[in-house]
Amino acid sequence: MKSANRAGPVFLVPALLIIAFVLLFPIFQTIVLSFGRNSTSIFYGYEFAGLANYQRLFNTPRFITSLNNTILFTAVTVPIELAIGIGLALMLNRNFRGQGLARMAVLFPWALPTALNALMWRWMFNTEFGLFNSMLTDTGLVAERINWLGAIPTAMAAMIFVSIWKTSSFMALLLLAGLQTIPDDLYEAGSVDGTSRFSEFRFITLPLLKPAMLVSVLLRTMDAMRAFELPFNLTDGGPLTSTETLSLYAYRAIFQYVNFNLGSSAILIQFIIIMSISVFYIFLIRRGDL
Amino acid sequence: MLFASIHRSKAMLAILLILLTLPVAAQDKVELTLSIGARGFGDAAPILIEACENEVGGISVEWERISDVPNESRSIYVTNFTARNSKPDIIAVDVIWPGDFAARGWVAPIEDYFSEEELAEYIPGFLAAAQVGGSTYAIPLYIDGIHLFYRADLLEKYGFDAPSTWEALIAQAEAIVEGEANPDLAGFISMWAKIEGLFMNWLAFFQGAGGTFFDADGNLAINNEAGVQSLSTMVGMLESGVAPESILTFRPNDARLLFQQERAVFLMVQDFVLATLTADDSPVKDAVQFTRVPYFEGNDMANTTVIGGFLLAVNKHSENVEAAADFIKCFTSYESQVQASLIQGKVPTRPAVYDDERITADAPGVAALGANFVYAFARPSAQTGTAYPEISEIMQTEISAALLGEKTPEQALADAEAQILAIMP
Repeated sequence: MKSANRAGPVFLVPALLIIAFVLLFPIFQTIVLSFGRNSTSIFYGYEFAGLANYQRLFNTPRFITSLNNTILFTAVTVPIELAIGIGLALMLNRNFRGQGLARMAVLFPWALPTALNALMWRWMFNTEFGLFNSMLTDTGLVAERINWLGAIPTAMAAMIFVSIWKTSSFMALLLLAGLQTIPDDLYEAGSVDGTSRFSEFRFITLPLLKPAMLVSVLLRTMDAMRAFELPFNLTDGGPLTSTETLSLYAYRAIFQYVNFNLGSSAILIQFIIIMSISVFYIFLIRRGDL
Repeated sequence: MLFASIHRSKAMLAILLILLTLPVAAQDKVELTLSIGARGFGDAAPILIEACENEVGGISVEWERISDVPNESRSIYVTNFTARNSKPDIIAVDVIWPGDFAARGWVAPIEDYFSEEELAEYIPGFLAAAQVGGSTYAIPLYIDGIHLFYRADLLEKYGFDAPSTWEALIAQAEAIVEGEANPDLAGFISMWAKIEGLFMNWLAFFQGAGGTFFDADGNLAINNEAGVQSLSTMVGMLESGVAPESILTFRPNDARLLFQQERAVFLMVQDFVLATLTADDSPVKDAVQFTRVPYFEGNDMANTTVIGGFLLAVNKHSENVEAAADFIKCFTSYESQVQASLIQGKVPTRPAVYDDERITADAPGVAALGANFVYAFARPSAQTGTAYPEISEIMQTEISAALLGEKTPEQALADAEAQILAIMP
């Protein structure tokens, strides 16, 4: 029995090695590269450049714009998704005919691959052939076609809209799981005491749903801060750089300018921001109240 | 019993090993991978690959179908080449890449496998894009130049000839759009989304105004009268409605689609659209004609045909550089280019091919495009080396800023100049 216990860790070694290779090594390489110059690998031709890349980034208006875009995108989408997600979850938690079907339907947007989804919406937002403009002009609501993805505030608005459409269902799913852990007897006790629907929601559902809310907000915030496929396929970051996110900026730096060092620095800054947000959320979850 | 089963499994293993090594031993051919777009070379690719396998001998070539969107295929190459992968052996490179790729040591010099006479058979201006420091890094495969496509039926209806100047084009577009009174008809469309094509577009306007990106002394020369005239004209076309606002989201195929649906008078994109526009199911197949990209009045000798297109290069880390070079020689030969034109409508990189009887008889469109290449010019990619992608991006951003009305053309050009000078070596 003793020897079996001692053998345990040994069996973990292959798994740990694989994790170290695919997870820790790239992170390590990204960190090292972000302090380098003209180097694409840490194994050959590495040149240390100190904080030069970080200095350059914070003096690049385009990077600052992409940072602002990412924060705006996250700050707008996550709260709206949470609100819609709660609404959907409450609806789906009721018993009604076709409940299974409704749950599946809600899952559909989330199940679609983001890239495909973005391309689909790009067609619908197309100025000349798109669904929205043809509906708007056919019904006479607008005289001139709206240049959805080609004008500055509308492109970001379109991107936010698509993201909300897609990921609210993800929120709903997580929250639904949370709702189902709330014991029925609390509601029964409430109804014995004659609580109204609103106070039932305010004093029973909401407090007990908090952990699930925090987890889903955490996951969505991390996701939104990393948004790549959506801007890449919907707007390509345009017009100008008005929908360029941090991930898209880093991708451009690495794959278009072949500047692995600058791109790595951008990624690392993004990593630090996401980490801080996550630690803050986890702190809230641990504390158990809000 | 146990002994026997071990024996049997050993025998099985031996047979298996022999079977596994057999095909390799029997084939004994140099295996090459050719990475080229599926749309780009389409039906011509498998036919030419087979022909060249037979002609070169001793090689077996696998076709890796990559994306036809240059930025997407470039990403794949960046990944492969920074990892020093030996595959793919042969890659199709956009005309703006050789200077960059050569400076990074990603593609092998191949002039040793070609005689000077052989190299002289390709269009010199195109080959020059692949020549850095006396070495040749790629061989021209096909041209994808920018031309002005127009609706001959509409021009005829209003008594116009194909415009040779921008002034004429704008006047004609305004007259036709007004006369047709069709809210769905646009005067001029092109690819003005923030893509490489936008930079190409502005360069065509700019050269047509008498400008060149670098002057004779090699100094950046964009912030001047020609620069302002070209950019102001583009902005003016948007403001006056000659170009629809949606042009700012158009990539080549979006513009092509609109033109094909009879919703535009003029279309300025690369010639790869010609095959689709003249296909049997195209509503404009009888109405579409093309001419060279216009110039501004008084600059009739200006080179305005922006050259795009692809060359073939050899991966520096390929294990079979010589075999790859031999394959390229065959793949870009006179006969191969005739076939590529006939099968896929590819525009040849050898001037001699345009006069081939089979081309003039069966692919008159290709032959006619050849006339516009008299006015050909290449983008400043060979001079700018590894900085080209960033320079192009700066230009795209500043041109977009002017088109979106965020900056005046003067301001956009001044800003572009300052940013480019800061990164030029």
